[in-house]
Amino acid sequence: MQNPVPHIILGNIFWMSPDRSLFWEEQNTLIVTDVHLGKTGHFRKEGIAIPQKVYTTDLQRLMAALYFYKAERLIIVGDFTHSTQNKELDLFLKWRKDFSQLQIDLVKGNHDILDDQWYTEGAVTLHPWQLEIGKFGFRHEDKRYQKMYANSKAFYIFSGHVHPAYLLKGKGKQSLKFPCYYFRKDSCVLPAFSHFTGGYLVTPEKEENVFAIVENSIMKMT
Amino acid sequence: MVELHNTKGYQFIAGWLAAKGYSPFHFQQQSWQQIINNESGLVNAPTGCGKTFSVFLGSLIQFINQHPDDFKQKKNNGLQLLWISPLRALAKDIGRAMEEVITETGLLWRVGIRNGDTDTAERAKQKRQMPEVLIITPESLHLLLAQKGYPDFFSSLKIIAVDEWHELLGSKRGVQVELAISRIVNCQPAMENGRSSVWGISATIGNLEEAKEVLLAPLQKSGVIIKAQLQKQIEVESIFPDEIEKYPWAGHLGIKLAHKLIPVIQQSRTTLIFINTRGMSETWYQTLLTACPDLAGSIALHHGSIDMELRTWIEDNLHSGNLKAVVCTASLDLGVDFRPVETVIQVGSPKGVARFLQRAGRSGHSPDAVSKIYFLPTHSLELMEAAALKKAITENMIESRYPQLLCYDVLLQYLNTIAISDGFSPEETYREVISTYCFRQLAEEEWYQLLHFITEGGQAMHQYDDFKKVEIDNGLYVIKSRKIAMRHRMHIGTIVSDAMLKVKFLTGGYIGVIEEYFISRLEAGDVFTLAGRNLEFVMIKDMTVLVRKSNAKKSMVPSWNGGRMPLSANLGKKLREQLSIAGSRSTTDGSALSAELIALQPLFELQQKISHVPKENELLIEHIETKDGFHLFVYPFEGRLVHEAMAAILAWRISRIRPITFSFAMNDYGFELLSDQPIPVDDTNVYELFSPDDLLNDIQRSVNSTEMAKRKFRDVAVIGGLIFQGMPGEKKKARHLQSSASLLFNVFSEYDPGNILLRQSYQEVMDQQMEEARLRDMLLRIQESTIVIRFPEQLTPFCFPVKVDSIREDLSSEKLEDRVRKMQQQLEQ
Repeated sequence: MQNPVPHIILGNIFWMSPDRSLFWEEQNTLIVTDVHLGKTGHFRKEGIAIPQKVYTTDLQRLMAALYFYKAERLIIVGDFTHSTQNKELDLFLKWRKDFSQLQIDLVKGNHDILDDQWYTEGAVTLHPWQLEIGKFGFRHEDKRYQKMYANSKAFYIFSGHVHPAYLLKGKGKQSLKFPCYYFRKDSCVLPAFSHFTGGYLVTPEKEENVFAIVENSIMKMT
Repeated sequence: MVELHNTKGYQFIAGWLAAKGYSPFHFQQQSWQQIINNESGLVNAPTGCGKTFSVFLGSLIQFINQHPDDFKQKKNNGLQLLWISPLRALAKDIGRAMEEVITETGLLWRVGIRNGDTDTAERAKQKRQMPEVLIITPESLHLLLAQKGYPDFFSSLKIIAVDEWHELLGSKRGVQVELAISRIVNCQPAMENGRSSVWGISATIGNLEEAKEVLLAPLQKSGVIIKAQLQKQIEVESIFPDEIEKYPWAGHLGIKLAHKLIPVIQQSRTTLIFINTRGMSETWYQTLLTACPDLAGSIALHHGSIDMELRTWIEDNLHSGNLKAVVCTASLDLGVDFRPVETVIQVGSPKGVARFLQRAGRSGHSPDAVSKIYFLPTHSLELMEAAALKKAITENMIESRYPQLLCYDVLLQYLNTIAISDGFSPEETYREVISTYCFRQLAEEEWYQLLHFITEGGQAMHQYDDFKKVEIDNGLYVIKSRKIAMRHRMHIGTIVSDAMLKVKFLTGGYIGVIEEYFISRLEAGDVFTLAGRNLEFVMIKDMTVLVRKSNAKKSMVPSWNGGRMPLSANLGKKLREQLSIAGSRSTTDGSALSAELIALQPLFELQQKISHVPKENELLIEHIETKDGFHLFVYPFEGRLVHEAMAAILAWRISRIRPITFSFAMNDYGFELLSDQPIPVDDTNVYELFSPDDLLNDIQRSVNSTEMAKRKFRDVAVIGGLIFQGMPGEKKKARHLQSSASLLFNVFSEYDPGNILLRQSYQEVMDQQMEEARLRDMLLRIQESTIVIRFPEQLTPFCFPVKVDSIREDLSSEKLEDRVRKMQQQLEQ
C-alpha cells in the first residue's frame, strides 16, 4: 500500500489510496466498489481470451489493502461480481477462508445477480438497497430521491456504479484522464476497484472535491 | 497444347459474339487460351473493356470443350466458376451480364449471388444445388467455409476468379481471399485436370507482378499476366473559385463551389459526383438540390449505408440513363459500366493517382472516347493536387498496393471459422496456411501460440478457468458450442470496414450512420455534423448513438475514412515539384504554368510574404505562437501516414533535449507539434533532429510512447474476436461482454504484454507507417536539402489545414505528476 491520503467527513477520517480503496479509520473498515470479480472469467467462458492475471491481481490488491490497514470489515458498494457463476468465483471462496474473521457487507449493485447461496457460502452479508452506519449510508447508485430511500436517515452517502474519471485539460491542447474519488457536499462517488473497467467523466461543481489517482499517488484536482 | 481457335468452345462463343457484331479483344483471346490450358494468372485491364468476359467466357469455352456434344443439355453441373468480388453492389450487375450471355447462348447454367443481402431461402437453395456460377464477397466465402461439409461445394469447381484484386490486395479482406483459396484448392478431390485454377482481375497498379504472386501463392505456381493494351485518354479540368483569396484555407466539403457544378451537370447526359465520405455526400446531395431544384427526381445519392433496394434502383436507373446525376462515394468506384455516364466530378483530393484514374474511367465508354473528369477543391491548396495529378497521369505514375503480412487477427478468425464447420488438423492446416503469401513467414512457434490462444485462451489458471472456444477432439480442432459458433458467424463480416453505429435522436428518428472511431473520441455535449445537421452527442446505447439537435455555431466535422486516406508517395513527389514551380513561377522544362498554379498565385504570394514557399530542395519549418501555445509546423509533403511517424520521431527526439509534452496533428502536406512551452528547434540542432542516425531505435521508442499501436489495436481486436460487437436480438444479453478496445489495450499491455494481437498492432504500425526504408529516404532527402526556419507572426495558408485537423496524438517526456501540477497551475491562471 502506497501513499494513502486522508479526507475528513463529518469528523471521520477516510484514507484514499492509489489502489482505489477507501479506509474508514473510526470503523476500521475498508470500502471498495465495482470489483467485478469474475469478469475475465465471464469473457473467457464465452471464448474471449482476456488474461486472467487481471483478476488475480485485483484479488491480491484487495488482500494487500486489508492487511495494510488490518481492517476488520469490508464494505462493497455494489458490483462485487460481474455476471453469472464461473470458476473464477471459486477462487474467491477459497480466498475467503483465509480471511474468515473479516466481516463482508455487500450493497447489491446491478451486476450482483448470483444466487443467494453463493453469498451465504462466501459469508457475504447482503444489503438489497442500502447499508447505514451512523450518519453514513452506502448505496450502489446514488439515486437519493427514489422511494426505497424514503426512510433513510443517512446524511452522507457513499456510492459507486459510474466508475468516475476526471479529465484534466491544459495548454497546448493537452489532456489527461484519471480514475478519481469524487466528493460532493453530502455524498462521495468511489473509483471502480477493478482494473478491467472503463471510466465515466465527472464534472465537479464549485466546492466539490476531486482526487485523481495519478499512477502511485493521489492528487487533489479541485 | 490445344490451340484455342480449333476448339469447339471458342468457335461457338466467337460465333455468338460475331452474330452480335463483336469480335473478341486480343487480351480476351489470350486469357481464353490460358484458361483452357488450365493455367492460372492475372488479367490486367481497366474497367469498361470486357475484363469480366475475359474470364467468364473462358470458363464457358472450357465447359463446352469438355462437353462438346451435349453442353446445351447439361444442367446442375455443380459449381464451375467462383467469382469473388469486393463489393456487394457489384454482384447484381455482373450476375445480370453473365445471365444475358447464358440465355443468348442457350446454355443451362445458373448464376447465384451470395453475400450479406442474400436471403436465407436462396442460401438454402444454393446449398442443395450449387449454381454453376457463384458471385460472392470474401466474407460470405468464409461463411461458406463455416458450413458443415463445405468441400462438397467445391468438388467440381474449375475456376476461382478474383475481381478487382487491386482493391483487395492491400487489405485484410485480401488476406481472407488468400486463406480461402488455400483451403479450397486443398480440399478438392483429385480432379481430372488437377485443382481449380485461379484468375485475378486487376486494374493497373505499380506492382502487378507481386499482385499475381500473392494471389497464386497457395497454388505454388507462377502463372501468367495478360495485359489489355488499351490506353484511355483522360482529360482533367479543375473548377476554380472566382476569388482564390476568399476560398477557405481548410475544409473538407467544398460546397461553396456547388453552383459551378450545375452547368457541368446540365451539359452532360449523366454525371457521377464522387465525394470522399458518406456524411459529406449527404450534404452535397442536399446542396445540389437546393442550388438547382430542377434536378429533383433526376439526382440520387448512392453510398454504402444506403438501403440495398434504393441502391439497386439507382444502379438500374444509371443503366437506363434516367438519372442526370448521382452523388456517390467509393461505393461506385468499381464494377460494370454505366454507359450513359459522360462526366465525372471528383470533390476533394482522391489521394492517389490510381484511384483518380479509376474514377475518371467511369465516364466515356466507347474505346476512343475521352474520359472527362472535373476536380473540385475543398480548400484552396488542394488545387495544387490537381496540378500534381495531371502531371502524374501524363507520366503514368501509378501507385503500388502492398500486401499485408502476418495478420494474426485474420488467421485467428479463419481458424475459428474452419473449426466451426468440419474442424481442422493442425499439421495439415499449418502447411496450407504457410503456403499463402501473407503467412509464409509464420514461425512454428507463433503457430503454436495461436493454437494455444484459441484452445486455452493464453495464460490461465486451469483450476479456476472456464475458457472455451476451440476444443481438441481426436486431434481435430473443433468448436462445439452452438452459441460460440453462431456468434463467430455473425462476426466474420467485421473486416469490411470501420464499425458503423446508427445515429438517432433521443426522441426517436433515424439520422444516419457514423464511424465508431469518430464517436469514440467525443465526450457527451460535443457537437458534430451529420447529414447537414448539427447534433449534440448524448450517449451510446445498444450500439446506437443518441443525439439531440444543437444550435451551436461550432461543430466538429467528422474526420472520415476518406479524409484519413493518406496521400500516396507518388502524388507527394509530384506535389513537391508543383510547389517548387509555383514558388519560382517557372517550369523546368519550359512548359506553361498550369492553370491551377496560376490561380493559386495570390495564396502563394501571401505565404511567401508572411513565411516562405519551399522549393523542391527545401524543407520549410514554421514556429508560430498562438493562444493555444507554441506550434512547430513542418512540411515534408510525404502524406499523412509518414507525417504521423515523422512527427512522433521528431517529438521523441526533441523530448530528449528537455522534459516537454507535445500534442501533434498532421495532414498530407505536413505536421504540427504543439506544446505549452517554446519548442527548442533552431539552426543549431535542426539537421541533427532530422538525422537518419539511430533511426531504428528512435522508431521503436516513439511508437512505444504514442498511441499509434492503440489505434491499430481497435481493428485487430475486433477481427481477432476480442471485441464483441453484439448481434441483432442478442444485444441485451451480451451487455456483460462489452468492453472498449482502449481498455483491452491497456489490460493486455499491463497483464499480457506478449499477447499476439497486441504484438500485431505494433507490427502494423512498424510495417505500414514506420517503414524504416521510406523514413530513411525522407530523412536523407532532408539532409541534402536546405532547411528553412521561419517565425511568422500569424497563421499561414500552409499551416492552417494542418492546425484544424481534429485528430491528435500525444508524446511526453515529463513526469506525469509534474505534468498534472503544471496543467493545474495553467488552469488557475
